[in-house]
Amino acid sequence: MPRPRGWSRWVLVGLAAFGLAKGRAGAQDTGALPLHERIDRLIEVGREGTLAAPAVDAEFLRRARLDLTGMIPEADEARAFLDDPSPYKRPKLVERLLAAPEFARRMEVVFDVMLMERRPDKSASSEPWQEFLRDAFARDVPYDELVRQVLRADGADPAHRGPARFVLDREGNPDALTRDVARLFLGRDLQCAQCHDHPNVDDYKQAHYQGLFAFFNRSYAIQDAQGRILAFAEKADGDVTFASVFKKKVKHATRPRILDGPELAEPTVAKGQEYRAYPADKVRAIPTYSRRDQLPARLTSGDVPEFSRTIANRLWAMMMGRGLVHPPDMDHGGNPPSHPELLALLTREFAAMKFDVKAFLRELALTRTYQRSSEPPPGASAEASAPEALAVAALKPMSPEQMAWALMQATGLLASTRKTVEHERLDVDPKFRALAAIDAKRKAFVDDLVERAIYERLKGNVRPFVSHFGGAPGQTQDGGQATVDQALFVANGQPIQGWLGPSGGNLTGRLAALNDASALAEELYLAVLTRRPTADEKAEVAGFLAGRDKDRAQAVGELAWALVASTEFRFNH
Amino acid sequence: MDHVASRRRFLGGLAAGLGAASGFGFSRFVTPAAAEQLRRDGKRMLVVWLAGGASQLETWDPKPKTETGGPFLSIETSVPGIRVSELLPRTARLMHHLTLVRGVNTKENDHGKGHYLMHTGRAQGPGASHPHLGSLAAKFLAPEACPLPGYVHITPGGGGRSGTEAAFLGPKYAALHLGNGRPPANTTRPGSINLAGDAARHDLRRRLDDRFAQRRRTAETEAYTSTYEQALQLMEKREIFDATKEPVRDQERYGSHDFGRHCLLARRLLEAGVTFVQVSHSNYDTHNENFSFHLEQVGEFDQGFSTLIDDLAARGLLRDTLVVVMSEFGRTPQINYLYGRDHWASAWSIALAGSGVKAGMAHGRTNAKGTEVTDGQVNAASLFHTYLKAVGLDPRDDYEVDGRAIQIADPAASAVAEVLA
Repeated sequence: MPRPRGWSRWVLVGLAAFGLAKGRAGAQDTGALPLHERIDRLIEVGREGTLAAPAVDAEFLRRARLDLTGMIPEADEARAFLDDPSPYKRPKLVERLLAAPEFARRMEVVFDVMLMERRPDKSASSEPWQEFLRDAFARDVPYDELVRQVLRADGADPAHRGPARFVLDREGNPDALTRDVARLFLGRDLQCAQCHDHPNVDDYKQAHYQGLFAFFNRSYAIQDAQGRILAFAEKADGDVTFASVFKKKVKHATRPRILDGPELAEPTVAKGQEYRAYPADKVRAIPTYSRRDQLPARLTSGDVPEFSRTIANRLWAMMMGRGLVHPPDMDHGGNPPSHPELLALLTREFAAMKFDVKAFLRELALTRTYQRSSEPPPGASAEASAPEALAVAALKPMSPEQMAWALMQATGLLASTRKTVEHERLDVDPKFRALAAIDAKRKAFVDDLVERAIYERLKGNVRPFVSHFGGAPGQTQDGGQATVDQALFVANGQPIQGWLGPSGGNLTGRLAALNDASALAEELYLAVLTRRPTADEKAEVAGFLAGRDKDRAQAVGELAWALVASTEFRFNH
Repeated sequence: MDHVASRRRFLGGLAAGLGAASGFGFSRFVTPAAAEQLRRDGKRMLVVWLAGGASQLETWDPKPKTETGGPFLSIETSVPGIRVSELLPRTARLMHHLTLVRGVNTKENDHGKGHYLMHTGRAQGPGASHPHLGSLAAKFLAPEACPLPGYVHITPGGGGRSGTEAAFLGPKYAALHLGNGRPPANTTRPGSINLAGDAARHDLRRRLDDRFAQRRRTAETEAYTSTYEQALQLMEKREIFDATKEPVRDQERYGSHDFGRHCLLARRLLEAGVTFVQVSHSNYDTHNENFSFHLEQVGEFDQGFSTLIDDLAARGLLRDTLVVVMSEFGRTPQINYLYGRDHWASAWSIALAGSGVKAGMAHGRTNAKGTEVTDGQVNAASLFHTYLKAVGLDPRDDYEVDGRAIQIADPAASAVAEVLA
């Protein structure tokens, strides 16, 4: 593939102008530069010669589409992007993807998996929870507000059943909540600091665990006869005292406290005034002063840098394939970030941009770091090309959801469903399609409607991908291990085999109608791998089809399968 | 040959790199040479899981003619002095292969928690989960390049994979559940693709992968491509999951019931080189009609299990295969008003045989009515240590998971030395 030389210079000029035009000017020094440029400078300093070349357009398109919308582009979309001569096409693409309804869907999945780690629905249903997340990202709800809503929900109000899944499907268990608040929002797995200071991590103290636990120690779950958690209730009293199992005689007490922050000053409630709803049979106790209610505001108050640091690191990992702190829930002095200054910058800036996830991801997508090739420069050592060096783009295995949607896109199922949905929803009245053309707001509304309808029809297809490629419930879901039954599923299983059968305008149907092997190869490669084939690859396709006139449809299916099963498809590269 | 050797070295290097990169490694686990030795030794495990909680009084620790003993008598076995329930006539003749552990006190009367405890040797706590015995075996005993799954579970019900058994070891070491003994999913070519077409599409896939790997080869890409080769090998070996390929005479010896067929399948899998096989027999949760139920159920168990032990011994497999018969707990000595026995974890029994354990003995005892352990009390954690030692693993080694060192078996316990050979 020819690598366009010199585009990067153009894009840089364009990007700098882009950033400044948006008025993201800081205070001093490099602060005047947009965040993406400041990120790159921190990474590139002293690294000349070891950095990978810029990713080619095809690689960038595929990567950005997968990371920001959870799927690959259609063949025609790829063709249009590759043929677009504009030097600004990359920032324009990023803007388009961030504005698409598929962005909200992608973030719904990312945050669902991050916060619930594929726990099964037990007490709360996933649907309102996922809808809550999608809606939050569609409306650009800031991350701190999202977390407040999640931690405030107790399941009692049917209107807020969605966010309550976080609490309810952790069995309303104070220890499980303590552990996951520390892991997911503070970057610290304090599990081993519950009964004593952490044996291997000097920074993790039993007092940290117990201080967080004190936010939850008065809370308990109310269950129905089937053991389903209905809601989280809370008593007005109960204190946390603890002792290390190694020094059982030395007792400590703590009020609610976040890590090394101050203990909460608590009001004295007059006797007889402790409850708004007294605990009784079938009554959900509501205390006048709730410890648990203090957590959301305290955690997101701005006094807890670990809160911003943890999410900045996790969003970085989502885009770059690996956190600056890795694993993301083991942030401590003995496991420092690969780029401490960079993580400090991201922590500050994400808080300064008021936890605007979209704005933050935009900056990451515009970095040269994100836009580097995944091919190490010739002669580079393994160490210099390791993911934590940030000199070469990481190969990220697609998530189960990305696999499912990318395959539905590649095989043409998504496009044909879109056609049906648009016909059903928009051809009801000729004015509907015209409506979308009036302005961006109306177009967004129509796009949103269509995305929801397509999603509803196809979401059932995602399940077998999650069961084959997802991690175990309640376990960290990053990475993913290759297993034999995954390969068997791709090689012999449904639904993939069905999708590869020719039907109408789907991929193999389109290919079978093309007589010219070269044109066929181009359509195939663009649809599945988001790039044009090389001359050798075209010849390879022609060779594969030679002598297969009698069973050409079969041969085309085999060809498409080989691309689908290839490493190049499996990884976001 | 050179190519194979260098490729293996390459993969070895990559595997080490992956461990470091993903924060998951084995700090001081058995040295590579020792691990290789274990794999060469071909240690295997067979667990017979009596789901729901089998009654120790109707199996390994009968108390006939007492108020708790129920209607059944005890019989002599091939080992003088050891008697078992008369519901186990065939197994009794093989007692010289078995070791009974009669002083089991696990203090956990809940099905789910008892299941977790007996499979992991640890109490279930919120937010933490530990690998099952089968996942440990798949990780540490199964040959790395073997296309066969390391942990196969033959269930009376549904099949597939849930992935939960392996916990932090990852889905590669999770159980493959063979629902009612059926072969694993997707192990036959799709009907629309013929043999030549299948070969052609895999050839093309290999060429694409080789080109990609020229510039972008990582441990993960290598692991991914190798799963397709393993899948093809597994498809070729698909017949090992089909117990009807065994001689009709053997099928008759094991019995025409599901459990018998599943035991025969277990033999076939162990012979084919599967490292860990679990057979579940369901369901012993006899809150009512305990006796009529055990009469029927233990009868099936006795036929299938004794035939399997007999065959493993005759074929020289028992020496390298640790056999464990267990449940989530036992059943109450007290008989309730529905002629049932309820959940009871304070004084029950398990049975062991094969690799690393003594044969022809009973360790521990309960009092005359079976209400209390009076000698040789053991808990689930110490049993877990014992299983690992019996197949040559050190239960005191650590996993290192995301920077945390976790001892493989509960640090507060140790193996039951009396039953180890």
